[in-house]
Amino acid sequence: MNVIEVQNASYEYKTYNDDGTTGTLVAVDDVSFEIKKGSFVALVGHNGSGKSTLAKMLNGLHKPKKGQVLVNGLSTAVQSNIFEIRKNVGMVFQNPDNQMVASIVEEDVAFGPENLAIPQPEIVQRVAWALEQVNMSQYAKRSPHKLSGGQKQRIAIAGALAIKPQVLVLDESTAMLDPQGRKEVLAVAKKLNADGMTVVLITHFMEEVLDADNVIVMKRGKIVAQGTPMEIFSQQSLVEDAFLRVPRTVELAQRLSQAGWSVDASCTDAKALGGQLCQLLQKN
Amino acid sequence: MLRDVTFGQYYNATSFVHKMDSRVKILLSVVYMVGVFFVHSYVGFAWLTCFLMIAIGASQVPLKSIFKSLRGILFLLLFSAVLNVFFVKEGTLLVEWWIFKIHDQGLIDAGKLMLRLTLLVCGASLLTLTTTPVDLTHAIERLLKPLSWIGIPVHIAALIMSLTLSFIPSIIEETDRIIRAQKARSADFDTGGLIKRAKAFVPILIPLIISSIRRAEELAFAMNSRCYEGSKKHTQMKVMRMGWRDLVGSLITVVFFAAIFTLYAFADNAWLGANLPWLLF
Repeated sequence: MNVIEVQNASYEYKTYNDDGTTGTLVAVDDVSFEIKKGSFVALVGHNGSGKSTLAKMLNGLHKPKKGQVLVNGLSTAVQSNIFEIRKNVGMVFQNPDNQMVASIVEEDVAFGPENLAIPQPEIVQRVAWALEQVNMSQYAKRSPHKLSGGQKQRIAIAGALAIKPQVLVLDESTAMLDPQGRKEVLAVAKKLNADGMTVVLITHFMEEVLDADNVIVMKRGKIVAQGTPMEIFSQQSLVEDAFLRVPRTVELAQRLSQAGWSVDASCTDAKALGGQLCQLLQKN
Repeated sequence: MLRDVTFGQYYNATSFVHKMDSRVKILLSVVYMVGVFFVHSYVGFAWLTCFLMIAIGASQVPLKSIFKSLRGILFLLLFSAVLNVFFVKEGTLLVEWWIFKIHDQGLIDAGKLMLRLTLLVCGASLLTLTTTPVDLTHAIERLLKPLSWIGIPVHIAALIMSLTLSFIPSIIEETDRIIRAQKARSADFDTGGLIKRAKAFVPILIPLIISSIRRAEELAFAMNSRCYEGSKKHTQMKVMRMGWRDLVGSLITVVFFAAIFTLYAFADNAWLGANLPWLLF
């Protein structure tokens, strides 16, 4: 069953040139795809490929200029649907500092449920539950400003979870984090997906899409490829054409196997590849 | 360097006053401030000082931190005292030199004014020293709730206040970063005249304003994503409860200020004036 259906959706920005004229920049151009319930979808693309704009169309922050976006069958173009749609599509953005509405962690997480006018005792439960999901319970009373980037982003995820959405959209949520923070956030996303949450991960780090069920590659506002990670990685020219890079492990495995070595070309795990290489070295 | 700036002046402790309900603290502070303006006798001032000392004692805030807040109004204190000394033309003339005349009433008024301002500021800073800005915001929102019945968006105002509070550290950090970035591009903030120095801050202000606008936009996206719809019906997680401390604190305050208001009411009482003049002065 599809939670989100994007049908021929387009979005354009108005641009202001230096000479005073205005123009339009088509950020998302006639895009169609579906997101299945419980799936892990990765939306990848280079800077300016329109992936972030597309993400903001999934909960009606941007309304399609053409085509439509349906969440559980409700169109984001209809203003009266928006509240219901945002209840079902939680979103976490890039900069952790710009998503915090309160100066105490638990109050920040409570912001969503408060807006839904949920009774106070249930808010307390939801906040505790959400913080537990992202493993941040011990920081409930702290100020978010003293936490690391990864921790702040996990709190932002908790803030989205407290609304109890069906879909969690991570709009480049790992882009500003250090490798450790990225690992933390990804681990949380994978765990939530294992528990049944539909996750849409927007990123330009190809390493992060390895575990996705479906990878959508975008270039200049259009979808240029869609498929499982291995299907995408095996078309190296296509990936490079979208200004992206196949993960190093995958690239190495592919090149070795192309060069005639008996290495599993679809290997994604660095350790497994290392094992295969060791075996090869022993043989020769 | 800028990072060391902490907003507000909260003194972290777990005292009687810290644990009181912040709504009660605000209300009692209002009573106190009104009381300060009603006092006119030295006995009254002594009485108020006594109350303030009890409150400070119960708050475990060191006197030093309280007096620190006086530094900000030092100039105002001295200025108004000097004005009173020279321009009050009542009472007996004490000193006359050139165009300056000092009357004894001027000295008395100046002394009382200084006392009054000191008590006022110390009382107000006791509130901010024992209550976090977040709690203050919550308390103000609850106290002003009746205004929302006549259509004033109290919740939105409180949200703006709390957003401002939570963004101050980020913006200070940002300012710090921009200053360092501009210094790395050999910007000079420390030499030249006043105008040159003021101009040197333009390259800090412009990036800061731009980044703040971007921040605001991102924040708006984040808030909308979390189902924020302005004045729509909403609930609050934070529960404020009054306890025995609030009762005790209020009782003490009421006793003290009932005395002050009584004293004020009997200021013209002939019998008291004749028999206990020191009480009224």
